[in-house]
Amino acid sequence: MHEYSVTTQIVENVLKEAEKHSAKRVAEVRLILGSLTFLNPEQVRFWYKILTKDTIMERSRLRIKRKGGTVRCRKCGYEGNFNYEDDPLYHVPIPTLSCPKCGGIVEIVEGKECTIKSVKMVV
Amino acid sequence: MRAGVRDVVKAEEGEIYDIELDADILKANERLAEENKKTLREHGVKAVDVMGSIGSGKTSLIEKMIGILKGRYRIAVFKGDLTTTIDAEAIAKHGVESVAINTGKECHLDANLVSKALRRIDLNKVDLLFIENVGNLICPAEFALGAEKRIVVISVTEGPYMVIKHPFIFMDADVVAINKIDLAEAMGVDVDKLRRDVKSINSRVMSVPTNCKSGEGVSEVVEALGL
Repeated sequence: MHEYSVTTQIVENVLKEAEKHSAKRVAEVRLILGSLTFLNPEQVRFWYKILTKDTIMERSRLRIKRKGGTVRCRKCGYEGNFNYEDDPLYHVPIPTLSCPKCGGIVEIVEGKECTIKSVKMVV
Repeated sequence: MRAGVRDVVKAEEGEIYDIELDADILKANERLAEENKKTLREHGVKAVDVMGSIGSGKTSLIEKMIGILKGRYRIAVFKGDLTTTIDAEAIAKHGVESVAINTGKECHLDANLVSKALRRIDLNKVDLLFIENVGNLICPAEFALGAEKRIVVISVTEGPYMVIKHPFIFMDADVVAINKIDLAEAMGVDVDKLRRDVKSINSRVMSVPTNCKSGEGVSEVVEALGL
């Protein structure tokens, strides 16, 4: 949903880092995207291509690793995947905040990340 | 490769550095939201993030809540909209501090905009702050503002599948107001079904049917917010 503004920040961050190391060119950026963010990898790639044009990041490879959602139950200590509500009407299973094991309330541990993991640059 | 010669590593152009960055882009907003929360706490201000769909009745709900709470709290309202100060002016008529936050094109408020707005008011003269987000059931969920409570306002005129079509925002909510219940019959919408949908996504949330024109249900919302 905010791929443009988020990708702008990604590019700014990487360019700042590249400047610190006096890099000639950025070769690769590794990004981790949690499945609970509203960021669509395809649109991130679209903006990445446009925003890196005429910079030392142009034509660099963007590697996106998806990270699934993890929850923890406050009651029974379960840690793992979401409990999904899977009604055929929804088409897409909906993650819920109820524990798949005991029905208690879970908290989200992972899945909201948008992290620049590492950058390969030519110096 | 000749015997005795090991694999040759050749640098094509300069040297390649692989730098671990571990920079979370969305965390920057979260850090600012934590700062806002701290500022509000230090001044003893309770803050509520009012999210919800366009035209669901967020402003009407705030106006009705002001009516109930004005005697007990010194209230301020931040009113997020893309453009105009129409709602902010309507709120100011209730005699409370009102700040319009125009986002221009952004579809949500973020912690930075709220932090700017916080500098515009005298926090020593405020006990309760309503932050009305931009009308949207998707993006605001991604951006914490620093409020201690979050309410989502939806209405029956948005149809019977509003909740299950936008599940994520309800995960972050403490209270959900289902507004315009006086129109439920005409719309053919089952309010109890909407409440069950909310409950199935987030069982700790409190959902309250409201009619913000008449004021029905508003005191229950106030109670659910712990105000």
